[in-house]
Amino acid sequence: MAILVDKDSRIAIQGITGREASMVTKHALAYGTKILAGVTPGKEGQNVEGVPVYDTLKSACKNHAVNTAVVYVPPAFACDAVLEAIGNGIKLVLIITERIPRRDAAKFLCAAKQANATIIGPNSVGVLNPGDRIKLGAIGGDNVERCFVPGSVGVISRSGGMTAECSWMAKQAGYGVSTSVSSGGDPLIGSPPKDILSLFENDPKTKAVILWGEPGTRYEEDVADFIMQGGYTKPLIAYIAGRFVENMPEGTVFGHAASIIEGAGGRPSIKMQRLKAAGAHVAENFNDIGDMLKSVLAEAV
Amino acid sequence: MARVLENVGKELLKKSKISVSDFRTAETAEDARQFADDIGYPVVIKALVAVGKRGKAGAVRFAQNGAEAEKNACEILNMTVCNFPVEFLLVEKKLDIAQELYISITYDSSEKMPIIIASREGGVDIEDLANTQPNRIIKTPVHTIEGFHQFQAKEIASALDLKGKDLQKATSVIWRLYKVFDQYDATILEINPLVITASGEMVAAAILMAVDDDGLYRQPTLSPKVEPGSDRAWRPLTELEKKMVAVDTAEPYRGTARYTEMEGGNIGFLCGGGGGSLLVYDALLRYGGKPANYAEFGGNPTQTKVSRLVKGVLSKPGVAGFIVDTNITNNTQTDVVAKGIVQAFQEMNINPETFPTIVRLAGINDTQARKIFRDAGVPYYMDDITMEAAARLIVEQMDKTYRQKD
Repeated sequence: MAILVDKDSRIAIQGITGREASMVTKHALAYGTKILAGVTPGKEGQNVEGVPVYDTLKSACKNHAVNTAVVYVPPAFACDAVLEAIGNGIKLVLIITERIPRRDAAKFLCAAKQANATIIGPNSVGVLNPGDRIKLGAIGGDNVERCFVPGSVGVISRSGGMTAECSWMAKQAGYGVSTSVSSGGDPLIGSPPKDILSLFENDPKTKAVILWGEPGTRYEEDVADFIMQGGYTKPLIAYIAGRFVENMPEGTVFGHAASIIEGAGGRPSIKMQRLKAAGAHVAENFNDIGDMLKSVLAEAV
Repeated sequence: MARVLENVGKELLKKSKISVSDFRTAETAEDARQFADDIGYPVVIKALVAVGKRGKAGAVRFAQNGAEAEKNACEILNMTVCNFPVEFLLVEKKLDIAQELYISITYDSSEKMPIIIASREGGVDIEDLANTQPNRIIKTPVHTIEGFHQFQAKEIASALDLKGKDLQKATSVIWRLYKVFDQYDATILEINPLVITASGEMVAAAILMAVDDDGLYRQPTLSPKVEPGSDRAWRPLTELEKKMVAVDTAEPYRGTARYTEMEGGNIGFLCGGGGGSLLVYDALLRYGGKPANYAEFGGNPTQTKVSRLVKGVLSKPGVAGFIVDTNITNNTQTDVVAKGIVQAFQEMNINPETFPTIVRLAGINDTQARKIFRDAGVPYYMDDITMEAAARLIVEQMDKTYRQKD
C-alpha cells in the first residue's frame, strides 16, 4: 500500500510537449511508470517518447480512462489546465508549475474542494511510490533508486528538493519509503502537510513519517493540533528549517514564497515547541533524522 | 510579493469609488508646506515608505500650521523607517474622527481562501488585538468560484454593529475593496483605520497593499510602479540585488535565481532550492560560519543564469570563500550548474585551489558535473557527504585558510 498513487493510477501529463515535461516523461517511463497520455493544445496526433498527445484532456480521458493528471503548463495557463482536469472528473491533480498567481490558485483550489478532488502543489516536485514504481512528476529524476527505495517511512516536505534528501536520509539509515510527497512551496497549496499526514495514518504500510517544515504559514501548527486531536497516532519525525529567519527583520522572505514570518505567526521555534508538545520527535540537526528513525522504528517493532 | 506605496494604492481605491483623504506627495519640506497650505490645516504628514508600523516609528505626524508642517516634514525626511530611508512624504488632510474601523483582505494558507478580516477597533495593531481580544475580530472567508456578493459585505458591516448610513457605507467599502484586491492580484490590502468622520463620511485614512509578483505580468497599471521581489529584502533592494532580479527575469522560464545580501559575512552562499538553502544557512551559523549572502537557484537555470548569479555572489565585498550546497536534485541538471560555476570562476580569475570552496551537488548528470569540477580543480562532493557536513567543511576551510595568514 501507499498513498495517493498506486498501480491503479492512470496518468496523463498536461503540457507534455514542453522541455521539462518531456524529460520527465522519459524518466518516468524508464522507471516503469505508465504514462498513458499527454495534452498540448494544437499538437494532437504527435507523441512524446511514444505517449500520444491530445488537444483536450477530455479526449485523453475518453481513450485512456485517465484518473490522475500532472500539470506542467506555464503559469499563465495553469489555472485553466487545473480546471480542465477537475472538470473532467480527475480526482488527483499534481501541479508542478511554479509562479502561478495566488489569485488563480485560490480559484482552482476552491473548484477542487467543490468537486472533491485532491490537489498536490502548486510548486510541487511530485509524488513517488517506489513499491509500485509510480513516479508522478520530476521527483527522483533519472536515478530514482538513489534516494527512493521501497519501505515503511512516509515523507512529507514543503520543499521539493528536500523531499529527495529526506527520502535519502531514510535510505542511509537502512529504511525505505512508502510514499514521498512534495506538498509544494507556495503559500496556497491543495494539500498542506496535515492533509497528507492523515492519509499516512490510514496507510497500514506506513510505520513512521518524516516531515520537512519551514518558516511561515500555520502548516506545522496545524499538524501539531491534528496530532493532539488524535488524527495521527504513528511516530512523526519533524525537522523545521530556517531558524535564522527569526532573527531577521519580520516579513522578509527566504527560500519559498510561503516562508514568511509575520508577527508571532510562522516562527520555527514556535512550530518546534508545538510539535514537541504534541509528541512529535523534533530533530535539532537534519543529520539526526536517520538515528531518530532507527530509534522510533525499533520501538514500534 | 511586491509592496505598493500608499499613494499608488490610494489612487486605485479612489478609482474604485472608495473615499480616501485628500493627499499629495512631496519630495521636500517646502513642497510639503505648500501642499498643506493648499489642502488646508490641520494636516497629516506621513513617510511614504512601503512598510507598515510607520506610526510606531514616529513617521506619522500632525501639523496645525505651515511652520509646523515644514518642521515635521523636514524631520520625517531625515528618518529611516524599518531600514527604509524616507525619500517622499504623503501630505493629507487630517480627518475629524468619530470612529475608526479595521478592514483587511489577505489569503489564508490553512483555509486556502481569501479571508476578510474586520474589526471595530481600527487604528490599532491588528496582531496585538488578535492576541489580546480575538473575539473583537471578524473573519470571513471568500468562496472564489461563487464570488463575493454585496450581501456578504453587508453581513460583515452588520457584524461590526454598524447601523443606518454607516452600515450602507461600510457595505459598499468592503465590497469594493474586495474587487480591488481581486482585480489587482493583491496579496494583502488593508485599510487601517477606516474612519467614520464627525460629519458621517467613511474614508480610508491609511492603507497597506502588496501585490503578487507572479501576477504582475497581467497588471500593466501596477507593474511599472512596484519593485518585484521587494519582500525578499528588509530594506530597499541594493544595486546588486536589483541586478540579480534582472538576471532572473532575463530568462523567465529557465529556472529561478534569487539573491539577498546579508550584512557582513565572508562566505559566498549559493544553494539549490528554497528548502535546502534554509537548512544550509542554519548549519553555517551553527558551525560558526559567516555567510555574506543568500542565493538560491531552482528548476533548470541556464549556464548563463548560473554564472551571472555566482558572479553576483562572489562580487560582494568581503567574500573570501564559497559554498555551493544542494540537495540531491530531482530535476536540476547538475552539469549545467557546474559549467555555470566554472565559467564564473574563470571570468573572475578565481583559483579554487587557493580560494576556499566547497561544492556539494548531486543529482541529474552528476558524473558529468564531477568531471567538470575536477578538471577545474574545484573541491567537489556528491552524496558521499550530507548537506550539513558540507557546511561544516567550508567553515573549517575558512578557519584554516585565514588563520594561517593572520
